Amino acid sequence: MSFQVIGKVLPRKDGIAKVCGQEVYPSDIVVPNMLYGVTLRSPYPHAEILSIDTAAAEAMGAIVVTPDDVPDVIYNERTVSIPEKTYRDRRVLPRRARHVGEAIVAVAAETEELAFRAMRAIKVEYKVLPPVLDLDKAMDPGAAPLYEEIYLGDDKIEVRNNIACERIITVGDPEAGFAKADHIVEREYELPRVYHHQMETKTAVCRPEPNGGITVWATTQTIHNVRQLLGHIFGIPLSKVNVKKLAIGGSFGSSIQMNSIIPICVALALKARRPVKMVSSREDDIYDHAKFPARIRLKVGVKKDGTIVAADMRVMVDIGAHQINAYPLLGCMAGWYASLYKWRDFYYEGRAIYTNKVPACAMQGYGNPQVNFAVESHMDIIAEECGFDPVEFRLKNYVGIGDEFWGQGPTVKSIIKSCGVEEMLRKGAEMIGWANRRPHHEKSGRYRRGIGVARGFHTSGTGGPKPGEVIDYSSATIKINEDGTVDVMTPVMDLGGGTGEAAVKVVAEVLKVPYERVELSPVDTKTTGYDVCTHATRGVYCGCGAVYHVAQQVKTKLLEFAGRILEENPENLELAYEEEKNVSIVHVKGFKQKQITIGEVAKLAQIYSWGTIAATDSLRQKNCPPCFVAHFIEVEVDTWTGIVKIPRAILLSDTGTPINPDMVAGQLIGSLSRGMGYALYEETEYDLATGKLKCNGFITDNKIPTSCEMPYIDDIQVYFAHTYEPTGPFGAKGIGEAALNSVASAVANAIYNAIGIRFYRTPITPEKILQALEGGGKVGN
Amino acid sequence: METNTKILAAEFQYLEGQDLDQVLAWLAEYREKARILAGGTDLLVKMKLGHVQPEYIIYIKKIAALNYIQYDTGNLKIGATTTLSQIERHETIKGYYSALYEAVRSMAAVAVKNMGTIGGNLGNASPAADTAPPLLVYDASLKIASKEGVREIPITEYFVGPGKSVLAPNELLLEISIPEIEADTGSSFLKLGRVAADIAKINVAVCLKRSGRTCTSCRIAFGSVAPIPMRVREAESLLEGKELTEDLITLAARAGAAEIKPITDNRSTREYRLKVSRVILEEALRAAWQRAGGAL
Repeated sequence: MSFQVIGKVLPRKDGIAKVCGQEVYPSDIVVPNMLYGVTLRSPYPHAEILSIDTAAAEAMGAIVVTPDDVPDVIYNERTVSIPEKTYRDRRVLPRRARHVGEAIVAVAAETEELAFRAMRAIKVEYKVLPPVLDLDKAMDPGAAPLYEEIYLGDDKIEVRNNIACERIITVGDPEAGFAKADHIVEREYELPRVYHHQMETKTAVCRPEPNGGITVWATTQTIHNVRQLLGHIFGIPLSKVNVKKLAIGGSFGSSIQMNSIIPICVALALKARRPVKMVSSREDDIYDHAKFPARIRLKVGVKKDGTIVAADMRVMVDIGAHQINAYPLLGCMAGWYASLYKWRDFYYEGRAIYTNKVPACAMQGYGNPQVNFAVESHMDIIAEECGFDPVEFRLKNYVGIGDEFWGQGPTVKSIIKSCGVEEMLRKGAEMIGWANRRPHHEKSGRYRRGIGVARGFHTSGTGGPKPGEVIDYSSATIKINEDGTVDVMTPVMDLGGGTGEAAVKVVAEVLKVPYERVELSPVDTKTTGYDVCTHATRGVYCGCGAVYHVAQQVKTKLLEFAGRILEENPENLELAYEEEKNVSIVHVKGFKQKQITIGEVAKLAQIYSWGTIAATDSLRQKNCPPCFVAHFIEVEVDTWTGIVKIPRAILLSDTGTPINPDMVAGQLIGSLSRGMGYALYEETEYDLATGKLKCNGFITDNKIPTSCEMPYIDDIQVYFAHTYEPTGPFGAKGIGEAALNSVASAVANAIYNAIGIRFYRTPITPEKILQALEGGGKVGN
Repeated sequence: METNTKILAAEFQYLEGQDLDQVLAWLAEYREKARILAGGTDLLVKMKLGHVQPEYIIYIKKIAALNYIQYDTGNLKIGATTTLSQIERHETIKGYYSALYEAVRSMAAVAVKNMGTIGGNLGNASPAADTAPPLLVYDASLKIASKEGVREIPITEYFVGPGKSVLAPNELLLEISIPEIEADTGSSFLKLGRVAADIAKINVAVCLKRSGRTCTSCRIAFGSVAPIPMRVREAESLLEGKELTEDLITLAARAGAAEIKPITDNRSTREYRLKVSRVILEEALRAAWQRAGGAL
């Protein structure tokens, strides 16, 4: 397929502003007469708040908001799921602190320093409650309950044994399936809590408006959900709530939900009757969210010929103090599991447990890297125990074209129509030299190299033929200006992955307009239709899907106006890009001499008072196609120091048509770094005596790999499978989360191939490697 | 939370020293109430965390007389406010003082090195200070001034405990002085962190002199494995006057690792430090020996 701009490497629309420091992020917003807000956060993991003395702070001129001052609304900050499947357990400020670092009181003053000093003058009387910090003890009958009751939709429900929610799914007859197996492998895996480590901490700025409304500038992945939730909590009509779309300094999923400081900022601004700005410190942020940890017990039955016949997966998730998206997570984890291999008959049980820790939420992959680590480690274990080649064993059992894919749990499914799994596994094996891979027992010496494979996927959006538990559609407005340039208004947040450029390219391609003559408009919730959120790797497939849909309507209108001018039937007209003159024209099919530029059409439509060539509409994608990935990674383990280096990595992706190929490669390479962090470095550990993070909220003791730990760029190879997704804009699927999902699994499999030690828990630190080598592994010194 | 790392919450008086006498007079007057500010890469962090709350901050980076690297008579003299970046870029240090160069190169990120100073690294007196092991093995001496006068001490007497040195509240570190590196001498520094730009889990420096195949003198210092950066004298004495062989290196490394007293903290475990200090000492010894022109 040949395209005019799709698949071309072109300058980012926000590139110049970003490299010149001119791009506006929420923390850059300055509103006249604004105050600065800070929060007082709980020092205890579990404590009732008996009283709050704000007199000293108020005497310093500060505005103080306590739990008594906020609306008595219990909500869930993530409103992506339909209301009846949404668990609600929190208020803007709680009457009981449930984790260290939970905001209890908010303070605004003329400067941030004064606000901070006033905050320290507030006296809170706590009744300290026994904390629940250990997943194993959380469900004991004697464990302190975090909640007596919470809400599911409109129903009040009781919480028993700190179980927040659970999902149990059976497909076929797993027991009969296992009975057919020649070999059964069962293992337990554990994935840690890690911090999102997005560059930008959270900001909220709220300006109360004279009409009783509010304008909000905030760090978010969804301006419309923030708007609706603020309207609901504070009882303000949506027509008076406006949330601005701004650049975001990375998110990794940490802003899918309305960030905790946004409603706090609104409460302060409404009480102060002045604009208020809040910028989280890094420690506020580390104490605000984390990736879902997971403990996964997996059992798989396989026949002698390598056919899988049954599987059983039991998942426990320590979700921390609130339910942000635990219930959909458990469904999604079931889906990632169900869609990796053809288990035939299988069972799934997922349980989310409340503890007095930082609330966990989605982070790049949403349960997928966790499930992938268990399943892809397991596939290697089975292959070794049964004597299968790991690549061939995967090829024999993977879920591919014509199979059903669970894009967002058991209620969002569609049939796979494009798939590059075989191409990627064959190509990757060839590129890494799989045929020459030696088993670990043939290796000795201090430095040992190993090669690992893992494959995975993520969904592209949460659409499907039927409405499921998750809301998914997007909107766009496109208009052709009177000189033939084009304005695109999209509510879709670009999290840095290039969704904005993709939207511009889609419009340019449909209308045959040069890339530089299409621009993204600054927008907000008042000027755009609804978009659910940039999550679930849906920006390009769903967001740009809507843009494609609306661009087609604009094209129809353009051809109609051109037909009137040229006195031709619009059906007899087509669009073309004239490279020599750098203009876009409408011409008679097969007869280019009869033509008019689209700028002339738009100008004449204005002069003749026909109207603007524009359209607004929404689109729901009816599919959730998987974007597949495969990782072939080589490691070098220093058996004397336990240090693991990655001398070589092959990153393969099936993203359909790569609309921004440079940024697809960027996603894959960036995710290699994050996956290395997940495999080898990161964990936010708790002091179980105090409930505090061992890093105290500081990145000094919360290290992630940087460019220094990465392989040299020449040693990273990126490969795109040759696929075309028939339901995506110009054949495109997503990539963002897929890029990460099998990295840690491939690293762990490579470590096994190097030293013959299977790690069931990440991060695989040098300390753990040395300990394992001493405790049974063979040491070659 | 009691911190806000965007804010220096406590009030203090900021004093900017224009010359040494003025700074020493302030120190004599304010003593424990004052803190010296140079690069601020340690002090400001501690202030933000509320660990120290000085009433007076005395800024010394404006005093040009404290910022120099001199290499005239064979001795290397480094002024206390010389930044880590200046040291890293200095050709003589890069060419002759390998352990110091490698230590500074391994430290932090560029922005921190552009601000942080060698005097500050010593003044902070962290057991993990990366410049400490090289200065210990070079037998450096420190020039320390107060209003009463100037004294010079060997660096081996400088560190007292975690975050503690012999600097009195009225004293200022002026200069680090390193004796001439003789011919057939080699030095090296190695460090393990969690990631590249990190505080050390373990660091080690070696400086040895060679005569033919014999190691005539050797100094070894570890950091981050005891309450202070420390010399390991038993290991040193095992090597001195001996013909250097692989076996001897192994033996000395074992002895060195047996002398340290590591703890488990956020960066690593006691067990790991005990095991791996031996490994990196072996490597540091080999590197220093080779740089001294020796073969194994």
